[in-house]
Amino acid sequence: MTWHWVTIAGYLLVVAGIAVLQLLAAKTRAPVPSFGDLLARAIRTRTGRVGVLVAWAWIGLHFFAR
Amino acid sequence: MAALAGFRAPVVWILLAIAFFTSISGKPVDGVLMLIVAVGLAWDAGRRALRHSAAEEAPARPAARTGGRRRFAVIALLAAAVVYAGVVGSFSRYSWPATAGIIGLGTIVVVTGWHRPVRARPDGGRLPRAGTLAWLAALVAGCLWELYALLQQPSLTTDSYAHPTISTLTDPLLATSPGRALVLLGWVAFGWYLVKR
Repeated sequence: MTWHWVTIAGYLLVVAGIAVLQLLAAKTRAPVPSFGDLLARAIRTRTGRVGVLVAWAWIGLHFFAR
Repeated sequence: MAALAGFRAPVVWILLAIAFFTSISGKPVDGVLMLIVAVGLAWDAGRRALRHSAAEEAPARPAARTGGRRRFAVIALLAAAVVYAGVVGSFSRYSWPATAGIIGLGTIVVVTGWHRPVRARPDGGRLPRAGTLAWLAALVAGCLWELYALLQQPSLTTDSYAHPTISTLTDPLLATSPGRALVLLGWVAFGWYLVKR
């Protein structure tokens, strides 16, 4: 296995972990908040809300803007 | 002085870190924009802290539309999102027209959310600690893995096949106009979801 595939496997592992946490939150009674719950908590304050929205804007800037 | 008090907010430091790393990665426009938002947020947070009104916030906008008007608004927004994604996606990546399109929509969304939430939500209470830590661990692991790949590149602005970053992996998809439009549509949809939270 080359480093290229090891790196990709790392990303897939993180994505799988996130999917498992979301499934645990949605389908079981495990004490795991959903992604929506986390977001709702993060955006309760103005700084949190602006921080989340700026993070979203940064994704667009990073992939498309000069 | 007010801005200095605002620098106690962790989000401000995160934005400053993003501004720094984005700038040294060869994206000065991103860096300057992040710097402007970080300083603006610090100033705003500091000003409110000095007024002892940090807990006060403008109430959410009342839901003005119902029934047919709401459905029409949703359809109009969906159509606008598709047109936006198609038009901005037709521009080359990193071109000035694409940059203007992204900065324009990003500014509208950030300014919309700055003063008050779009929709009032009940306080969900405390989040379970273990589950929250698990989420943080997964998200931080993803960021660290991306950072590791970035630092393994020959330079911050030169891609590596052996250690691809997420940007490098998405290059083939974003090289085509339909691919860019599809990703932009997802980006707009996620922004809409965040604004509605």
